Amino acid sequence: MRRLFGNRSQIWIGIVLLMAFLIAFPFFATDYWMTLLILIFIFTVYASGWNLFSGLTGYTNFGLAWFIGVSGYVSSLLIADYNFFWLLAWPIGALFTSMISIGVGYILLRIKGVYFAISMVALAEGTRELFGTEYLSPITHGGKGVPFVAGIGLSTLYWAILLLAFLSLIVCYMIFSSKFGLRLLAIREDEQAAETLGIHTTRDKITTFVISAFLVGLAGAIHFTYQNYIDPSFAFSIHLTITPIVMTLFGGIGTVFGPVIGATLFTFIHEILWAEVTLLYMAFFGGILMALILFFPQGLLGWMKERGILPRIRKI
Amino acid sequence: MVNFIEILIRGLMLGSVYALVGMGLTLVWGVVGIVNIAHGEFVMLGAYFAFWAFSLLHLNPLFSVALSIPVFFFAGVVIHRRITERLVKEHELSALILTFGMSILIWNLAQFFWTNTYRSVSYLTGNFPFMGLVFGKGKTFSFGLAIAITAALFLFLKYSKWGKAIRATSQNSEVALVCGINTMKMRMLTFGMGIGLAGAAGAIVSLQWVIFPQMGGSYISKAFAIVVLGGLGNIQGALAGGLIIGMLEAIVTQYLSAKMAQIIPSVTILIILLLRPTGLFKK
Amino acid sequence: MTKEPILRIEDVVKKFGEVVALDHCSFDIESGSITGLIGPNGAGKTTLFNLITGVLQPDQGHIYLRGEEITYKKPYQIARQGVGRTYQIIRIFPKMTLLENLIVVGKVKGRKVMERAMDLLHLVKLAEKKDDYASDLSFGQQKLLSLAQVLMLDAKLILLDEPAAGINPTLQNELMALIHQLNEGGKTFIIIEHDMNLIMGHCEKAIALNYGQKIAEGSCSVIQKDESLLEHYFGR
Repeated sequence: MRRLFGNRSQIWIGIVLLMAFLIAFPFFATDYWMTLLILIFIFTVYASGWNLFSGLTGYTNFGLAWFIGVSGYVSSLLIADYNFFWLLAWPIGALFTSMISIGVGYILLRIKGVYFAISMVALAEGTRELFGTEYLSPITHGGKGVPFVAGIGLSTLYWAILLLAFLSLIVCYMIFSSKFGLRLLAIREDEQAAETLGIHTTRDKITTFVISAFLVGLAGAIHFTYQNYIDPSFAFSIHLTITPIVMTLFGGIGTVFGPVIGATLFTFIHEILWAEVTLLYMAFFGGILMALILFFPQGLLGWMKERGILPRIRKI
Repeated sequence: MVNFIEILIRGLMLGSVYALVGMGLTLVWGVVGIVNIAHGEFVMLGAYFAFWAFSLLHLNPLFSVALSIPVFFFAGVVIHRRITERLVKEHELSALILTFGMSILIWNLAQFFWTNTYRSVSYLTGNFPFMGLVFGKGKTFSFGLAIAITAALFLFLKYSKWGKAIRATSQNSEVALVCGINTMKMRMLTFGMGIGLAGAAGAIVSLQWVIFPQMGGSYISKAFAIVVLGGLGNIQGALAGGLIIGMLEAIVTQYLSAKMAQIIPSVTILIILLLRPTGLFKK
Repeated sequence: MTKEPILRIEDVVKKFGEVVALDHCSFDIESGSITGLIGPNGAGKTTLFNLITGVLQPDQGHIYLRGEEITYKKPYQIARQGVGRTYQIIRIFPKMTLLENLIVVGKVKGRKVMERAMDLLHLVKLAEKKDDYASDLSFGQQKLLSLAQVLMLDAKLILLDEPAAGINPTLQNELMALIHQLNEGGKTFIIIEHDMNLIMGHCEKAIALNYGQKIAEGSCSVIQKDESLLEHYFGR
């Protein structure tokens, strides 16, 4: 097997250089490029967070948007209606979502297979509709949407999301190479056998579900602060679920770097496509999704592993 | 009280169309084993089919409904043979993403070619007075057509060779496999039937509601709720489920609000999956 | 003075709808024994294993492990109390390596997990394949791997569901030799098998089930001569 990189110290040097470049970016880049990277980082966290739970346990979370929307709303409403400082509002939003996720996970993770996926969509869609009703509008402003300004500069926001993306990757790496990660894989392979081998599957599933909720929720809070706007149809949009999933599939599900690669490539593809075929952009997107599943199911990293460009074995 | 009966009947009429959509989805999901998120888009295509047949060819919409069945059946067969058959043994994620992509592709193409302008088929206008209540002609005919198609479906399932094979497969696919029933051919035909039902439902819908490219979205969520309510692969269950969803929608719209009625499918799915995951009805 | 049995099944009933899978079944298993569990297909043997390991709960009755009631405990709890089980259709983790298949089970923390896993791989003679994917193993090797997983649990009571099915006689003998070796080290075995020679040759005691009822229990030579049992089995 040929290895793509020469040796470990070369990889470390490369990483350090890349990080230095990214940290210094706001000092020389245009706003356009900054916003592009901000989106890439946001979706890297979304994709990594999804991959952390679904890529390892095999439970398809088809309601990722629920994490994003709930955290986004809590955080944005705290900033808009209660004048919270963003540095406080964001973690509160993420914590709120992860706390509720403990309960949601405990209830919904008894459901298996495609039914779990459906139940998560139902949760996201139901919450979306709920936030748009008259009954909740005193808090949520109904379907109208909430424009707001958080008092944060673009560069600061950039650094915040860069930090979160970096930390998410580290968390993923740590979990993937741990015994905990191995237990999650066992759950995916054969949950009942895992149980009769002494693995506390409920606890392990919920733990990773909640970690995923926290990371994704935090990124969601940042996302809407960046947008300076939130409304139910966007906050709980199925696209916020599908896009990270597709990014992960594209990059390689169940790998640490798959989501990053997927998020980066897909954001660029989106930019190019949007510029070229604006009207039919969505139709193309749909077609790409279909092509991805039909012709490229194991993603880029999986394809590279098959070709021997990357090593196949996980490192513990 | 009379008001309440009117609401129930309205609900039944709504539900009869939802049932068609739901029965189509439960056939595809339960028998073929594929979750088709694009199912709602075929309802939309069915509605446009009837609309264009009416506007361009001046075809009687009632006839379009009948015509839509073979047309969409054939389309379903082709789609399954070329695309969805590959999903049959795969992890559910593949089917979810692929059919989601198909759904986006279809409605965006529809939007591109036909624009977002609301269309309608003004063929049956006016009302029927009946026992002191008033019902729109379009809705009443739709109800009748839905009943007719449902009856035809049940007769087919009960007496025809294919129908029996479908029932056998949905009850116990492993046994069916051993008996040589559950073949690609059978899956293809069943998928075609599912799409045919969706298209016919859409053509029926054209008689009473406005038509626009994104309309599939509301049908797919209701269809999922119906499949879960009725039990996977359970066609009678889907019929009952459709009527229940229709009546719930009518009741909630009347006594709470139309917006609250939008939550019904999601809430139904969550409650059923938590409390009675196999559905309300036994086979 | 009789020692406390390692496993006690007390008046256990299990129904699936109308079908009675286990019908007021009771017996004890002595610590350190090798017991055969025999009976025709559908007699309730695998259901019994499922009840003991907590995968299913009985409708009536109690199950005791070393005197402690485990009837309604969760599978992972029962496993951690030292009950291991293999399946009729092998259930190892195919897309994980052999080493990973064992490490994921380990009760022991830290570095010792690796040592223990390697020791067990040596025991079942699969050490060179430690980094191979479990799906690459042959059928017989997978059976050995699943036994190694159970041993990783440090199980004191081991339930084997048709361990000899589908493997060649040489491997069967190796497997049974291993079981005896472990038995001498203090492990208790309950073995479901259809191969009567295997039962007679290796088990001290046998329990026979039919239609969910225990129809015979005793030392193997006694069972062999029991007329009614032969009738049930061979329909004479």
